[in-house]
Amino acid sequence: MAPTGSQSTINVKLLLIGNSSVGKSSLLLRFSDEQWLPEDESSATIGVDFRVHKMDVNGKKVKLSIWDTAGQERFRTITSSYYRGAQGIILVYDVSSRESFDALPRWYSELETYVSDSVVKILVGNKVDKEFSRQVPTAEASAFAERMNSLFIEASAKMSVNVKETFQEVVEKIIDTPALWTNGTGQSKAQRTDGGRGGVPGGVQVVGLSEEQTDHSGACSC
Amino acid sequence: MSTELPYAADAEVSLSYDELEVLRLQYEREQLQAHVTVQTKFNFAWGLVKSPLREHQVEGVRLLQDLYRSEPTRRRECLYYLALGHYKMGNFEEAKQFNGLLMEKEPTNLQALSLAQLIEKGVTREGYIGMALVGGAAALGTIVLAGLIRRATRK
Repeated sequence: MAPTGSQSTINVKLLLIGNSSVGKSSLLLRFSDEQWLPEDESSATIGVDFRVHKMDVNGKKVKLSIWDTAGQERFRTITSSYYRGAQGIILVYDVSSRESFDALPRWYSELETYVSDSVVKILVGNKVDKEFSRQVPTAEASAFAERMNSLFIEASAKMSVNVKETFQEVVEKIIDTPALWTNGTGQSKAQRTDGGRGGVPGGVQVVGLSEEQTDHSGACSC
Repeated sequence: MSTELPYAADAEVSLSYDELEVLRLQYEREQLQAHVTVQTKFNFAWGLVKSPLREHQVEGVRLLQDLYRSEPTRRRECLYYLALGHYKMGNFEEAKQFNGLLMEKEPTNLQALSLAQLIEKGVTREGYIGMALVGGAAALGTIVLAGLIRRATRK
């Protein structure tokens, strides 16, 4: 277990994924800057955004590198190149959007392609402030998360509910997962090539090159 | 607990040779078939702009300019990556211009705001280097001049 050196800083890489406008960037902004932008002021992420955040977890100094990916379909190829080396994945959906929840199997199948099973996953139902227009029951999402071997939490970036807790839980679980700390970044499937395309060594993670090809919706890659 | 200044990750992280090669092959394959999709072209341009090699960056910017003209629906990301490409090449004026266009439409876009900070930093750094060069040249001039005067007076 690498992260036992009490004085040294532990580096953790996290990735935010999920459909467009579920609030990935808002969760990150609330977490890192204690801020929130109203809908008309926030803009869709272009490609990827990145933040470094330092925090203490159980007395350990942790330096988080958080990669906030664009949810829009057009950036899928681009964002897939950021999975490498991630130790934690934050999957976000919007509790008031059934569609964003129904898209989760696709996101999970993408995870199967790019990261190892030991990577810590947390499913986050964002926008609980919109309780009145909720479309995804808590119990259903929680059961789904359990099936997908993920932590589960409901949050609101707008009202600042469970945002810190989300990151805290992931990081705690990562620190407690020895498999993520054996020989550096051994947790990634970087050795894999892109679904047999070319079979080049070094692991090309840029796959699904055209819009037609990216669409393997629902297909389980097991 | 603290957060460091946000920055444009795409400015610092480049793709591996193989990753860029995948994007290039796809682009060239479609070129042979005489129809390059917007997505393929954009992906390749993105990979090129991220590269540390200047010739890649130049090619990436060229492709992005094409896309900007032909694909109105892709303008915001083209502007962003055009700004990023020019920033990486040290063309801070152009970078500012493209990023400015994006900020005109989206004044609260955090990515554009953070890129603007990076560009400003680049301009300042360049300013210091310029001053150092001028300062260095002035110092050198003084030494040479002093030498000449000394030689002249010795005669």
